[in-house]
Amino acid sequence: MLKTSMLPHRSTSFVAKASLLAGAGLLALAIGCGRDQVSHFRVPKEAVADHPDHPGHEDHAGPAQGMPPAGGDMPAPPRPTGQGSLKWSLPKGWSEVPGEGMRFATFKSPVPGKNEATVVVLPGVAGGELANVNRWRGQIGLGPIDEAALAAARVVVKTKAGALNVYDFTSEGQTKSRMVTGLISTPDGNTWFLKLTGDAAPVAKAKPDFMRILESLRLD
Amino acid sequence: MIKTLVSRTWKFFKSFQLTIVLLACLMALVVLCTLAQVNMGTQGAVNAYMRSLFVWWRTPALPFPLPVFPGGGLVGLLLTLNLIAKTLDIQRSWAKAGMWLVHSGLVVLFAGEFVAGMMQVDTNMSIEVGQTVNYVQSYKNMELAVIDTTDPAWDEVYSVPDTLLAKGGSIAIPGTPLTLNVKAYYPNAELSNLPTGAPPSMATAGVGPGVSVVERPTVTNDNEMNQASAFVEPMASGRSYGTWLASIALGAPQSFTHEGHTYSLSMRLRRQYLPYAFTLKQFRHDVYPGTDIPKNFSSLVQVVNPSQKESREVLIYMNQPLRYEGKTFYQASFGKNDTLSVLSVVENPGWLLPYVSCVLVSLGLLVHFAIVLRRSLKRRQDKKEG
Repeated sequence: MLKTSMLPHRSTSFVAKASLLAGAGLLALAIGCGRDQVSHFRVPKEAVADHPDHPGHEDHAGPAQGMPPAGGDMPAPPRPTGQGSLKWSLPKGWSEVPGEGMRFATFKSPVPGKNEATVVVLPGVAGGELANVNRWRGQIGLGPIDEAALAAARVVVKTKAGALNVYDFTSEGQTKSRMVTGLISTPDGNTWFLKLTGDAAPVAKAKPDFMRILESLRLD
Repeated sequence: MIKTLVSRTWKFFKSFQLTIVLLACLMALVVLCTLAQVNMGTQGAVNAYMRSLFVWWRTPALPFPLPVFPGGGLVGLLLTLNLIAKTLDIQRSWAKAGMWLVHSGLVVLFAGEFVAGMMQVDTNMSIEVGQTVNYVQSYKNMELAVIDTTDPAWDEVYSVPDTLLAKGGSIAIPGTPLTLNVKAYYPNAELSNLPTGAPPSMATAGVGPGVSVVERPTVTNDNEMNQASAFVEPMASGRSYGTWLASIALGAPQSFTHEGHTYSLSMRLRRQYLPYAFTLKQFRHDVYPGTDIPKNFSSLVQVVNPSQKESREVLIYMNQPLRYEGKTFYQASFGKNDTLSVLSVVENPGWLLPYVSCVLVSLGLLVHFAIVLRRSLKRRQDKKEG
């Protein structure tokens, strides 16, 4: 490949080049170390996505104090047992899987396609109904709604455990998602969330049975 | 004595045998790294095999890891030194100009990989249709964001990187009266309901007291994310605001108020705020008619940069990224029923080096070919004349 007649008298230039490489390495390390500090930014408040069908989204200036996280099935109190715990009856073909992590329970429906029902229990008012509904809407790409729209969207189902507020939302886009959720407060101060989510078509098929589950709610 | 040593070292670095051994090592590393991606994920495998000096082997029998194979960093470094030694060995004459150019091009290519390895930052930007976003976020690195949300129009964001949280101790938040006492930091943890009768949580405020936190080994797989969690106690003017659990698994921030200022705490993926903002005007996910096979993904974004007095529309689509202010934005993913677009953002200060290298190598080969051709023609002419 190369002629090998040259001798190490060029080592000065070699050393210079090697030092240059080492210098570049140290510079990169120095930059890396600089990342280990508290940094400060002044940024405009984040706005929630404006959707053509929801132009007047609410102001999110205030801190979302105590609001459950956007991840979905989050923070939970000690799992209620005995008094104050909700019970339900499952329709034919449905099965229940004990909850993992933050989930209280998961229901498997016999309807093929993407659909799943979950039960989550949170302490207190869990950030409030509006905040939770807007969080769920966000999960299927819908913009937030206000108190008036919330009241309009609410369907109250009477159960033995008390009144249950039910919401049903369907997203836009090529593959539509749908979410049917029920919220109910129990006398021990917890809020229970029963949610059926998935692709619009299987959720529509599973909804009548899911509504039967909601209607069957009772206190233990 | 010293002269012999220098001469031997020089001989070692310019030896062709070294090139062969190093290239063989590189081939083995490529195979090993590819196989390791199954369990370690792309980034985990690249870090373990390619961007390290050694491939380490951990065994429960030993308290320390053992180096079992040279890593990509070491092989690359030796290969670069080998190449430089070879380049310096070429005669300094016009007849060898082509070879000089080719070898310099290769050195630039190697340097480019080192710059990428050490300085490239991979982040992403997720925007929903209609949303304006002025930051990019890391895929893996976390931050504890302490945000003063008092001002109705602006947020004062103080970002405490996970690397600093891992060191523990007290962290003063400059520009605020706050100091955070890091009581515990878990790079990965599993959160669940605190079972009845379990020992109480370290947290005394927010949602933390009802949540059990169990530390888990960190994950590097592409499909998994570390659930970084920390117990922190904000202190201000000698007053404690309780111990809070901040975790990426807890999505929404929790907040407290000190002297009229409301501060929220949230663990999230590390953000880098930009002096410009992108608004997603339209996302398209076209499929071939009658099938679900994707034909095209594209994001129409409005780029607004007040410092440049710039506001323009840009269409980012597959293989057609936007290069802007040192960053390259690629169409990477989408979600939420085609209302969310995810752009992969790469910042590599050395992105031009591979192009420079290609130009140098191509030019070098052309020059070398021209020189050899000229020499050959001359020889032929000499023969004819002679």
